[in-house]
Amino acid sequence: MDIVPQLIANSLIAGSIYAILTLGFNLTYSTAKFIDIGFGVETAIGGYSVFYLCKTLGLPLYFGIFLGLFCSGLVSFLAYRFIYKPLRARKASGTVLLIASLGVLTALQALVAILFTSQFQTLSGLIQANRVFELLGGTFTAVQLSIFCTVLILSVLLAFLLKGTLFGKAITAISDDEEVAKIVGINTERVMGEVFFISGMIGGLAGILIGFDTGIEPIMGLSWLLAAVVAAIVGGIGNLYGGLVGAYLLAFAENFGIWKISGEWKMAIAFGLLIIFLVWRPRGLFPR
Amino acid sequence: MEPEAQGSGTSLIKTVLWLVVLILIVGGLIIYGKKGGEEKEASKEPIKVGVMLPLTGDGAPYGEPARNVYLLATEEINTAGGVSGQPLELIIEDSKCNGKDATSAAQKLINIDKVQIILGGFCSSESIAATPVAAAAKVALFSPGSSSPDLTGISPYFFRNYPSDASQGKVLAEAAVAKGWKKVAFLQEQTDYALGVFKAFSARFTELGGTIIKEEVPSNTIDFRSVLSKLKTANADAFFLDPQTLPVAERVFKQMQDLKWKPVLMFNDVVGGAPETLATYKDLMEGALTAEFTADPNNPKFTKLLAEYKTKYGVDLLYASSYGPTEYDAVYLIKTGIEAVGNNGEKFAVWSRTVKDWEGASGKTTIGADGDRIGGHTLKIVKDGKAEVMK
Repeated sequence: MDIVPQLIANSLIAGSIYAILTLGFNLTYSTAKFIDIGFGVETAIGGYSVFYLCKTLGLPLYFGIFLGLFCSGLVSFLAYRFIYKPLRARKASGTVLLIASLGVLTALQALVAILFTSQFQTLSGLIQANRVFELLGGTFTAVQLSIFCTVLILSVLLAFLLKGTLFGKAITAISDDEEVAKIVGINTERVMGEVFFISGMIGGLAGILIGFDTGIEPIMGLSWLLAAVVAAIVGGIGNLYGGLVGAYLLAFAENFGIWKISGEWKMAIAFGLLIIFLVWRPRGLFPR
Repeated sequence: MEPEAQGSGTSLIKTVLWLVVLILIVGGLIIYGKKGGEEKEASKEPIKVGVMLPLTGDGAPYGEPARNVYLLATEEINTAGGVSGQPLELIIEDSKCNGKDATSAAQKLINIDKVQIILGGFCSSESIAATPVAAAAKVALFSPGSSSPDLTGISPYFFRNYPSDASQGKVLAEAAVAKGWKKVAFLQEQTDYALGVFKAFSARFTELGGTIIKEEVPSNTIDFRSVLSKLKTANADAFFLDPQTLPVAERVFKQMQDLKWKPVLMFNDVVGGAPETLATYKDLMEGALTAEFTADPNNPKFTKLLAEYKTKYGVDLLYASSYGPTEYDAVYLIKTGIEAVGNNGEKFAVWSRTVKDWEGASGKTTIGADGDRIGGHTLKIVKDGKAEVMK
């Protein structure tokens, strides 16, 4: 049996989840200019919200997903409003913000663990039989197909938001120069809050999809975030579409890498790629 | 005036925030104070026993029920008059199923809380790392869950009432050969426990002429698809899954379904001892082999534990047939030991080797001179989502 089609399918699945996360991560990075580790926990917030609303309370799935996205967006917004914003107002350095966001991640994942225990959960029971498709010898499920489609839809939506709306122009202006944006009359604080809300929603969306595909745990955030950060750096940190390329490049490197060497080296491949880029092309494939 | 107004707005928010923090602290102190008052029933100095278990991370699904069982047993002992009149007090530390955190937990328990006996670790990695720390301080380390063969005879200060995996790996290897399997695909999580199972299995299986195709994965792996695709193409007679924790196993099973891979399965007692997982992935499991150390379901002490756990915590005890009873027994063994030789790590460790046919929820416990529980795993086969003893 040929393994290559399956490896391509696996890479596309993994890459698509990385891509969603990288989009959300790059969105806040390009505006707020710091590495928001707290973004990782939105995956758990989104996943567990749906788990609670649909599995425990038995609400309809669409409603649960909608509320789950709202919750993760809200949490991200609140983290910005009460933690990052005051720190930024005090001109805290990127390192301080990074550590603060690490605190957000740790505290919130502990909270999720207290509320829902640390047991591993999946959302897959919420949908009827997850169909398995076969294409040229590779298999993938309906959920995985929808993850792939989500990336396409999300990229188009974000492109429209950033290029076609006034709000998007404000974001672009802030990411170019926050001070100047403020001077020309953009309410930077408000836009930033909205950016955090949207990126939180994207993180929550990724968490929900992960919940349907592999399953959720309170501590899932950090490992997914690391993949997103590596993908973002490879693609050119802060560049939304570079991040997409980075995400798929990372996924292909990981999945094809372990074809010939043992699977325990998967993480090493990811971070090896990161080191190669940091040393030889620190601004990534598509620098902003 | 604009900036001024904004300034007073933020200061108002700040004041409100500080108020909330103050209320939380004061409220917390009041509640905590009350709690402390209620618990001070037995006025005598409590006997402190250290506990190490994984309360966060992938090992947490085991740590949580373990802590509940310990607290349940301690409560029973204290209501019945304590240990020679003194109440038992557990000091619980999170050892996170890894050696690094277990070492710092053990150091904290020994140096700050001055305990003589530590109950734990749960994961083998925890016990292996904490043993030298405990031995140096002459503190007894008593594990109800670590089963790595590397712990056999590791130190006179370590013992366990859970059997070594040497028997588990051996039983499964012999069963595989008896089934006529020549080639086994093996997926091992990178932990001491899982490595112990692999070593025991591979030693016996290769001795009997079999070959193993092995892949290893780190504990935090989420995406197993490509590793599984690789093992799938190996066309082995059976697939042995050797995880440390259940989340890893469930992710693997889920992804095997997605890949439409239905090999003949074998797995260690992590999966074998989890009835819910067996039921959830029923289709995948039919005919799977596992070896498990289990309590006798008709043992009255065991049924009493299950009933009391359900009453106290409102949920069924997880891993009920394997770890639950050994954990429960461990607390009572500590009571028996302290009553026999006093709260002294060195004497307690020596005493542990004399435990013979001690009746508990996990059956009759006998500890050998190497610190291992005598008696081991039985071969089981999964039928219709349930593990049954193989005849």
